[in-house]
Amino acid sequence: MNKINKNGENYRIAPMRFNLVLMMIASSMLFAGLVSAYIVHKPDALAKNTWTQFDLPVQFFISTILVLLSSVAMYMALRAAKQDELKQNSLFLAATLGLGILFCVCQILGWRDLIDRGLPFVNARSEDISASYVWAITFVHALHAFGGLVLVSVALGKSMRYQIHKKELTLMKVAHTYWHFVGLLWIYLYLFLYFAG
Amino acid sequence: MKNYLLTKTASVFSSKNFLTVLIFIFLPFVAMAQAASDVVQPPKEFDPSGWNWVSICYIVLAVLILLIIARVFDIGSLTEKVTGRKVINWDKANGWIAILFLIGSIAGVWYEMIYHGKHVMIGNSYSEHGETIDSMFNWTFGFTFVVFAITEALLFYFMFRYSYRENKKALYYFHNNKLELVWTVVPAIVLTFLVLRGFNTWSRITAERPKNSQEIEVFAYQFGWKARYAGADNKFGAHHFTFISGKNPLGLAVDGNVDSLVAELQADIKGIDAKIASAPDSAKSWEKQFAAFNVGSNAAAYPAVYKDLKTKMQEGNSGAYVERLKKDKRRKNTTLNRVLTYRKDNGIFNNAANDDKVTTEIVLVKGKSYTFNFRARDVIHSAWFPDFRGQMNVVPGMATWFSFVPTKTTAQARIEKNNPEFEFYLYCNKICGAAHYNMKIKMTVVESEAEYNTWLAAQPAVVAPPAPATAPGDDKKEQGKDSGSAPQKMAMITKTR
Amino acid sequence: MSTAASHAHDHDHHHHKESFISKYVFSMDHKMISKQFLITGIVMGIVGLVMSLLFRMQLAWPDEKFGLLEMLLGKWAQDGKLDPNFYMGLVTIHGTIMVFYVLTAGLSGTFSNLLIPLQVGARDMASPFMNMLSYWFFFMSSVVLLISVGVETGPASAGWTVYPPLSAMEKAMPGSGLGMTLWLIAIILFIVSALLGGINYISTVLNMRTKGMSMNRMPLTIWAFFFTAVLGLLSFPVLLGAGLFLIFDRSFGTSFYLSDIYLEGVGAMENIGGSPVLYQHLFWFLGHPEVYIILMPALGITSEVISTNARKPIFGYTAMVISLMGISFLSFIVWGHHMFITGMNPFLGSVFMILTLIIAVPSAVKVFNYLTTLWKGNLRFTPAMLFSIGLVSFFISGGLTGIYLGNAALDIQLHDSYFVVAHFHLVMGSSAIFGMFAGIYHWFPRMYGRMLNNTLGYFHFWITFITAYLVFFPMHFMGLAGVPRRYYMFTLVKEFDIWMDVNKMMTMAAIVGGAAQLLFLWNFFYSIFKGKKSEQNPWQSNTLEWSAPVKHLHGNWPGAIPEVYRGPYEYSHPDREEDFYPQYIPDESDKAETGGEGSKSAPKRKSTKKEEEVVENVMFSAIKRVFGWS
Repeated sequence: MNKINKNGENYRIAPMRFNLVLMMIASSMLFAGLVSAYIVHKPDALAKNTWTQFDLPVQFFISTILVLLSSVAMYMALRAAKQDELKQNSLFLAATLGLGILFCVCQILGWRDLIDRGLPFVNARSEDISASYVWAITFVHALHAFGGLVLVSVALGKSMRYQIHKKELTLMKVAHTYWHFVGLLWIYLYLFLYFAG
Repeated sequence: MKNYLLTKTASVFSSKNFLTVLIFIFLPFVAMAQAASDVVQPPKEFDPSGWNWVSICYIVLAVLILLIIARVFDIGSLTEKVTGRKVINWDKANGWIAILFLIGSIAGVWYEMIYHGKHVMIGNSYSEHGETIDSMFNWTFGFTFVVFAITEALLFYFMFRYSYRENKKALYYFHNNKLELVWTVVPAIVLTFLVLRGFNTWSRITAERPKNSQEIEVFAYQFGWKARYAGADNKFGAHHFTFISGKNPLGLAVDGNVDSLVAELQADIKGIDAKIASAPDSAKSWEKQFAAFNVGSNAAAYPAVYKDLKTKMQEGNSGAYVERLKKDKRRKNTTLNRVLTYRKDNGIFNNAANDDKVTTEIVLVKGKSYTFNFRARDVIHSAWFPDFRGQMNVVPGMATWFSFVPTKTTAQARIEKNNPEFEFYLYCNKICGAAHYNMKIKMTVVESEAEYNTWLAAQPAVVAPPAPATAPGDDKKEQGKDSGSAPQKMAMITKTR
Repeated sequence: MSTAASHAHDHDHHHHKESFISKYVFSMDHKMISKQFLITGIVMGIVGLVMSLLFRMQLAWPDEKFGLLEMLLGKWAQDGKLDPNFYMGLVTIHGTIMVFYVLTAGLSGTFSNLLIPLQVGARDMASPFMNMLSYWFFFMSSVVLLISVGVETGPASAGWTVYPPLSAMEKAMPGSGLGMTLWLIAIILFIVSALLGGINYISTVLNMRTKGMSMNRMPLTIWAFFFTAVLGLLSFPVLLGAGLFLIFDRSFGTSFYLSDIYLEGVGAMENIGGSPVLYQHLFWFLGHPEVYIILMPALGITSEVISTNARKPIFGYTAMVISLMGISFLSFIVWGHHMFITGMNPFLGSVFMILTLIIAVPSAVKVFNYLTTLWKGNLRFTPAMLFSIGLVSFFISGGLTGIYLGNAALDIQLHDSYFVVAHFHLVMGSSAIFGMFAGIYHWFPRMYGRMLNNTLGYFHFWITFITAYLVFFPMHFMGLAGVPRRYYMFTLVKEFDIWMDVNKMMTMAAIVGGAAQLLFLWNFFYSIFKGKKSEQNPWQSNTLEWSAPVKHLHGNWPGAIPEVYRGPYEYSHPDREEDFYPQYIPDESDKAETGGEGSKSAPKRKSTKKEEEVVENVMFSAIKRVFGWS
């Protein structure tokens, strides 16, 4: 069961990936907090008539599709790396990165749409706490996505220098896991805001 | 040994009157403490003037002396090495200190019980539900005191009894399922009992709002309390936080006050507009003022003035001044719009508030059920009236309530406490700002309805009763009464357009 | 073996040419980081202690003028009288410092860092770099907090719980201005630090144990640090969420927490629809686990120290672990007991009450197990042992009052009274600080290679112990007599006059107790340089950290990491001449196998070990399957 690493230590799973999983759990708790605040607040505010129900911007739906696509690309990139096809790996990583950037652009467009519809982050009217929530949740998620983009770029850089291959997969796997996490998180948040909002 | 322990514990717990046993264990303590409290004189006041920074220097000195003593002991331990004889056996010494500490702390608690025990509120509740809380307290005290006494005594006794001896070997004993089961299950049973009792007490106090209870609004603000009685029509007028103004501190829906507030706000907004328009000029003049002031040693001589002028100039130049004005204007506009919206809604302005009485004292009648409706103006406060065992947070934007029945009058309490100046108070018990410590309102419990009525009659109404001539808003008043067919008593009005 | 040894040397890439900065400042060595945490914690502790003395003096002599106070605090103590706003600030910052900076970072940060790798047999933390970041975030956070005390409008002063709206509006009180903003920044930095640290602790414990160190052979310290880290990992992010909303409300003008407010001097606020109680829910979802984040490391240290110095196996190892687990789990579902009287649904209150009182069961188990461990032991009263016993005493005194406060009906009367102050200062304040002292006295030789002076330790213990009881015990009586907490002075209410002399007594006790800490500080800093040199294993302890050389090495052990052959608490084993049996010494050939009369434990332990391994295999294979790892 145990492996011995080059420092003569015993370990079971690569520490970096283990830490990543724990970090993901912490992030999930952050979102759990925000989402449960939303759930608790909504009926309260509805009773006081200070909650507007509105449709999410269509850009958010597009970004959901983008995030799905980028996850597929990420998966392909990992598979390519496992099979030592380094060119393909770089290609798919670049695709992931591109789709990820498009995702962020879409989010920004979505926020602009919200502003255009009179639903800014800071409530100009008393009825927009719902909008504040959507803003806060999507914004915190966007920060996570941005972190993911940095990670993917680092992986891409390494991949271009042929430093990711069959035997050096740790970074690739970390990026892969994290990117899926960001994607899944977004899909969850989108569905939540869609059905709960 | 373990069997012995088990049978011992089992025999105690199997006895039916276990609880009575417990009560009997601690009752003598309380009884003796109370008996003794009449005999023992309180200690003399500490003289604060004798206690100052010099005394603190003495303490530091004492620390130094301790350091030296420690050094001496270390030298002692050197001789120990040489002679092979122990100068001081710390293991034994600590065991003895532990026992002394145990005895000393029992004495200390005893003294405290005698000296201050009578001020402890348990057992002298002035409300109906308070007695259930007190009995809950006594049950909890019964159990916890026994556990406390036994475990603490054992802890210090073990320190004394099993202190280190060189040729002894400790018992190799790491596990006993039965024993562990016992001390998991027994606390669980005791706690189940406490939980059930607590659940009952709590539900009875808080779960249902009593129906035939007189309502009083208790209003909290930084830093004080106000009470509002419904007045002659027995109806509370509506309120909204945007109606609050200097004349109308509770924000009641009173025609005259709200109209003057509207005028005030409109004037304010105009004033701000004028200020914004003249902002560039003011910025220039501030700059001049600052330049005029900032000569010679003025800056050093009058730092406060210098700072004031400087910030003014900076804010004027950077546009922060205008920003602030604009923000202020936006806020005032929002308030104005809201006030106007509600003003149109005649359902609120039904004159129910006019005869309400806002008082700076809460007067209650003994034996009558009361419900306090709490409202906060600015931050969270908490209304604590400990003599009645009542406490509830007062949260802005959220209606809270607490119901209780006072059982004794202030006069009775004065006799009981042997203190002719005793008063009931309702304190603020949630940190709310600098004067939090002085935020209280007197509560008086009177014997009869008549006394209460005389008091209430003497209190001024929110709007003085109409003069013989008809007031200008008379026809509106009629309208209001018609359309406001079902204005909810005490409703938080947050309806929007 | 030899390859492992040579690899051990290039474990840390700074190893060969270590500059002062990489060794002492931006060190990635867990032992150095633990010392950094400890020193920072001690410095913060002194600040917190001095603050408490200042406001205690205000409570004892509200009408007295202290010239020195004006010298110290300037405009906040004009004419030598403390300003009420600054009093609130002191109370707030004292709470924040003690809860987060001393007892979370100073205690758990120090000893998790020191002991986790040493006691589970790892060369270092899972990620030394993250570990370093964790400390530096903590350091920055401390600096920001200390700066916030000095700002023009005063430090944050809405209580350490910073309930909005008081904390959310700049005009609500002076302390809600810049001071509050800095407080929030400091706390967010702190959360980042706690998360980085916690991730590392969990990952190291689960992932990097040495050969033979199965979960049921881990010392209870490690179990405690592990659960602490899990609690932190799951609860701190929620505080981050709460803090973000508070920042949005303060600085951007949203209304998550604000509604229906008219502020004197400002007018009606725009915000409508927020819920101040929402903040309290989010805050206490951290706040309650935080109490156990503070307490559990202290309990873990106590278990270790008591067992070692009683020369006796800890009684009911499994029960201890299970009760830690139970406390951790329950701590997530009881936060509502801080909010019984916020006007929340009474039924919800009952649920929280039931869950809260259940916590008393595992706590009781722990106390009884400690007592049984002492029973028929051979107690060596090192200062560490005394502090541990002090902890048990405080844990009993303070824990039992929790049964009153967890009871919603009683909480109506006791909420926010001095009874609460007494309760938490005993059960989490004094307990945890005693756990910390126990840890320092016990592992000082391991940290600095020198011994602390025992005699000074005894003075320190007894003075601190007695004064702590003198300060906090009378508060029960005050609370029961209806004295509210966080009052600037009691002279304005006649009913409270009777407590004046008690207040004075408590303040004097606090000053004496505070002065006793000078003994400790002297002892600590003097012994770092001039203390008696420590032996390899000064307390004849069983655990793995004492097998590493006294002089610190990167990678902890010069050769291979020692293997572990048995549980950590085999003291006074009847088969052995010595009264201890270290984990890292191989079984004495067949003696234990064939089962001498006394080795009842050996076969028993073996069977559980197998079970444990099966469980672990299942757990890890499940994790692997879920995340698709090879």
